[in-house]
Amino acid sequence: MTAHPRSLAQPPVTVEVLPPAARFSLRLRAEARPVAETALALPLPDRIGRRSVGATRQAICLGPDEWWIDAPAAEADAIRSALDGLVPHALVEITDREITFQIDGPGALDLLAIGIARDLSRLEVGRGARTVFDGVQAVLVREAEHRFTLSVWRSFAPHVGELLEQGAREIALGL
Amino acid sequence: MLLIHCPYCDDTLPEPEFAYAGEAHIARPADPMALSDEEWKNFLFIRSNPRGTHYERWRHIHGCGRFFNAIRDTVSDKFVMTYRAGEPRPNLDALKEAAE
Amino acid sequence: MTQAFRIPGAGRVNHAKAVRFTFDGKIIEGREGDTVASALLANGVHLLGRSFKYHRPRGIVSAGSEEPNALVGTSRGPGRFEPNTRATMQEVWDGLTVESQNKWPSLAFDVGAINDRLYMLFSAGFYYKTFMWPRSFWDKVYEPFIRRAAGLGKSPTEPDPDHYTSRNLHCDVLVVGGGPAGLAAALAAGRSGAQTVLVDEHAELGGTLLSEPGVRIDGQGAWGWLETTLAELRALPNVRLMSRTTAIGYYHQNMVGLCQKLTDHLATPPEGAPRERLWRVRAGQVVLAQGAIEKPLVFDGNDRPGVMLAGAAQTFFQRFGVKVGTRAVVVTSHDSAWHTAFDLAQAGVKVAAIVDIRPQVSAELTARAKALGIEVLASHTVTSTTGRLRVASVHVNRVRNGHVDPWRSIDCDALLMCGGWTPSLHLFSHTKGSLAWDAQAGAFLPDRKTEECHIAGAGRGLWGIAAALEDGARAGAAAAKALGRAAGVGSFAVEGDRTGDGVVVKELPTDRDPGKAKAFIDFQNDVTAKDIRLAVREGMRSIEHVKRYTTNGMATDQGKLSNINGLMVAADALGKPAPEVGLTTFRPPYTPTTFGALAGLRRGRHFEVTRKTPIDAWAEAQGAVFEPVSLWRRAWYFPKAGEDMHAAVARECRAVRTSVGLFDASTLGKIEVMGPDAATFLERMYTNPWAKLQPGRCRYGLLLGEDGFIRDDGVIGRLAVDKFHVTTTTGGAARVLNMMEDYLQTEWPDLNVWLTSTTEQWAVVAVQGPNARKVLEPLVEGLDLSDAAFPHMAVAECTVAGFPARLFRVSFTGELGFEVNVPARHGRALWEAIWAAGQAHGITPYGTETMHVLRAEKGFILVGQDTDGTVTPGDAGLDWAIGKQKPDFVGKRSLQRPDIVAKGRKQLVGLLTEDPSVVLEEGAQIVADPNQPLPMTMIGHVTSSYWSEALGRSIAMALIEGGRDRQGETLHIPMPGRTLRAKVTGTAFVDPEGQRLKV
Repeated sequence: MTAHPRSLAQPPVTVEVLPPAARFSLRLRAEARPVAETALALPLPDRIGRRSVGATRQAICLGPDEWWIDAPAAEADAIRSALDGLVPHALVEITDREITFQIDGPGALDLLAIGIARDLSRLEVGRGARTVFDGVQAVLVREAEHRFTLSVWRSFAPHVGELLEQGAREIALGL
Repeated sequence: MLLIHCPYCDDTLPEPEFAYAGEAHIARPADPMALSDEEWKNFLFIRSNPRGTHYERWRHIHGCGRFFNAIRDTVSDKFVMTYRAGEPRPNLDALKEAAE
Repeated sequence: MTQAFRIPGAGRVNHAKAVRFTFDGKIIEGREGDTVASALLANGVHLLGRSFKYHRPRGIVSAGSEEPNALVGTSRGPGRFEPNTRATMQEVWDGLTVESQNKWPSLAFDVGAINDRLYMLFSAGFYYKTFMWPRSFWDKVYEPFIRRAAGLGKSPTEPDPDHYTSRNLHCDVLVVGGGPAGLAAALAAGRSGAQTVLVDEHAELGGTLLSEPGVRIDGQGAWGWLETTLAELRALPNVRLMSRTTAIGYYHQNMVGLCQKLTDHLATPPEGAPRERLWRVRAGQVVLAQGAIEKPLVFDGNDRPGVMLAGAAQTFFQRFGVKVGTRAVVVTSHDSAWHTAFDLAQAGVKVAAIVDIRPQVSAELTARAKALGIEVLASHTVTSTTGRLRVASVHVNRVRNGHVDPWRSIDCDALLMCGGWTPSLHLFSHTKGSLAWDAQAGAFLPDRKTEECHIAGAGRGLWGIAAALEDGARAGAAAAKALGRAAGVGSFAVEGDRTGDGVVVKELPTDRDPGKAKAFIDFQNDVTAKDIRLAVREGMRSIEHVKRYTTNGMATDQGKLSNINGLMVAADALGKPAPEVGLTTFRPPYTPTTFGALAGLRRGRHFEVTRKTPIDAWAEAQGAVFEPVSLWRRAWYFPKAGEDMHAAVARECRAVRTSVGLFDASTLGKIEVMGPDAATFLERMYTNPWAKLQPGRCRYGLLLGEDGFIRDDGVIGRLAVDKFHVTTTTGGAARVLNMMEDYLQTEWPDLNVWLTSTTEQWAVVAVQGPNARKVLEPLVEGLDLSDAAFPHMAVAECTVAGFPARLFRVSFTGELGFEVNVPARHGRALWEAIWAAGQAHGITPYGTETMHVLRAEKGFILVGQDTDGTVTPGDAGLDWAIGKQKPDFVGKRSLQRPDIVAKGRKQLVGLLTEDPSVVLEEGAQIVADPNQPLPMTMIGHVTSSYWSEALGRSIAMALIEGGRDRQGETLHIPMPGRTLRAKVTGTAFVDPEGQRLKV
């Protein structure tokens, strides 16, 4: 079994809550995508799990007609009305629905494996998915080899956060 | 915990992301009010419940969110295949022939 | 005399490191690397416990997890007591406390042993026969007696202070079993580059190699080869080795559950370390290399301490450096025990005789035995043993042409038995893989597979280390190749391998009355060969019935030693060949598993998610009492000092009816329905009409299932032509969204409308009461709150207390009311702003109980309380909510089903008790005539019942057959000791005309 070196200065994995930015759920049909991409100045990936990263905005495709748009809070108003009158769509702000954890360190995959049944080694860097963490729906994005974000609905965050903390302590013990 | 192939995500994923949704290929009548009581009863309540091959619906509820169809063997609990909602019922014999 | 039976320098224990633990209070010294069993044997202790039914003295039978007898209680400090720990698996450490089980007053003198003299009472099916009469004795006499007399160990009573964890793991190849076959498989798979996991339940990997140091592999001793191999495996980054890890179950699609013991072997576990970890492994390919389990022989007195499996004696000697006795006799039907005899003889144990059932044994073996001074007794049987707490002698008899000669006695302090070997196929059986009898191997071997797995080595009847290595390598390579990897099959040069064969036997032949023989088959459940034969005589034909009637194989060891012997005896009694009788099914877990490991992280606060609103912390600080509502916890009521629930709720109700109350409604489900076809979609989903609802207005929505029964309800606001804010019940939020998605995706995929859950986007504060506007008005910007500009059932986007808000004018109380939605992060601040603004009006926070009372006073239903999945809109008095002009909506057709339009359906009505101070019990049954004979005809039940502070009396709602036609009738509610009377009324108790909303 692989043991993680025990070091207080550098724990094998850390968990923190990221400050809220602006987050929207965008729904539209494939034929409306080009217009929306222009209006949002952001490509909308056409494969589930893919993400596009613009200058300040990101879009991740979570379903065949569903994207999450992440942006700085200052752009929220602009995004909210960006598609008005252009194409049939639903654009709903969900900034406050979500709490996002960042899980960082060489033990990140082991830590996520306490709650996620997917094989996360197959998740490429820069991609993500909606999945389940210990029975709680979550959106997972692999930001780097050992860095992930995990977003859950606000009221589930204490449960998920405590499990992540407990798991991080367990992984630090190296048992 | 089964592994289920989502035809929208094109990925085989663990069962906790999915929810079962009953028998497949039972369309809601276009005009329910035109149905007799007997016909409506059959639509509402009567299901095939076979031993063996079952056409059924699942939803990738904690994934892409889509409802899709599956063929599963109710004895072995093995999935034969999954396919998108709205696609016609696959011909099982043809599938078996193709496999052989 | 400490460790008199330890052989200096022998075995793999650390002779330089003494370990002390206690057994029944006595200090025992062992060595680092010992198990409890090996340490006790090193000190000459064979008596470890008393048996389940007969309280017979019992000792150590095996050296592994199959152990049926040597079950002990282990304690690791306060609250950390575990019963039925197998002494053969528990490693010793300084300070471990071990106690024997099932004895009173002491292990050596046990009162319950009287059961052994009453064995005729305890024969097969004794539960069903002996204790059935007289019936009245069951509760008071028989059951308490059985419970006290029988059973194993005692349950811990304190909460378990340890914590447990779990993890998912994905790999290409999972190898179960770290013996030669498993090691070779892991090598082949690991070298191919496959992600490989090798697990073994023992502290050390190596399996049989640990007990066979004399074998040479590739020019090295077995232990040297093991070290080299483990070093290579450890160096491979794609290989993970896990010891003390039991594969407990094999599930669909190559999911295997592992239970890894992390701290039970440690004297001082690291602070905060979990005790066990449950792994859910998903493997591309599985290699089962679990070896074989030695079979006991069945003869009278085969359960006496000192009688053990020959292979166990071999392991205690070679692995632990322990002699199991000074003078041993071997009784066997298989060659393997001969080698044990030779090893022990060379270690200085006097082997008095080898008793072999077979008439012919290889000349090589007999010659070797004679050279070592061991008497060879071929074609012999064992008919009894003697000795009180330890075997002292064995009766052996010659067998000639089926006739058993008179016995002679041979003194011994250890009797080592071997009835051959049973392939360990428990995990394979979990997959419903079928077994087939192999006459040559004399065993059931794997037949048809259902999973992507390979069975290697002794598990498929291949005996010997060379065969195991070769077969393991083959299986490992096959697994790698199945995953598209190139894998070589290594070859192994093995010297000194000791293969052999044997014969399969039932009970050993005896010269005694077989009806009096205590020839045990299942040691743990005290089942004898005679019990099995009795079961067959009494009509049991199926092996499954024999098993249940005798309890053979139903103890915590799941018959690892007993099933095959039970089958042989049953088959003989039935006059059928063994394969026709068949085996019973093995089920997970392979060995007993703690509840802690199965629960994992899900205990205490994490047993289930507790969802809390953004305002929850404020309520907690105010001393609110909470109640669970689906996964949420909600403030139930806010007691002030000295108030009970009744007083608090009455005060909260008064505040809302007379001034203003504040309520956290954040848990209400919310769905944003958006898109050009939003109104069309809602028209089809809900009973009500939506097309003509103007933006800025709200409407009560009623949702049915296709069967016409009420599923959910809630207020829906139209924010724009293409945007609706739908609310659902707290518990129905997820269900409603799923139902809507189902219709949208699969029935009406053409509609341009999308659904987004916004339940947690918004925190919702309800301000209710005649002073609600006065409190809210100063906080609202961008909206005229007057009744004319913002009437009942209006909705608008504005700013409240500086936060962007969706403001609804709605009322679930019957009073002037508003619900303020703000982004969740501002919920607490909004609440506190309204709280501050309301001080001048005595604003009062209220909880769900007051909310329930206030809505009941108005006759508003709670879906799931006043409805139960069989209530139609008509039944609930909600016909007004149905859009009569609509051609269709979900459930509409069902409202014309014959049984829905039939007379006499249960309808929701009000109930007023004759005695206004009596609050009916919710769920209480209602009858028309209290004097009718039992069983009475029940015509309905109470669904909601409260004390109404506004009316100064109790109120209730009830579902009653033909209820609306019974207005004014007096009905009866029989309760324990009295029958209550109540009059049927309408459901609106307060302000039925709704005047209070028009302010």
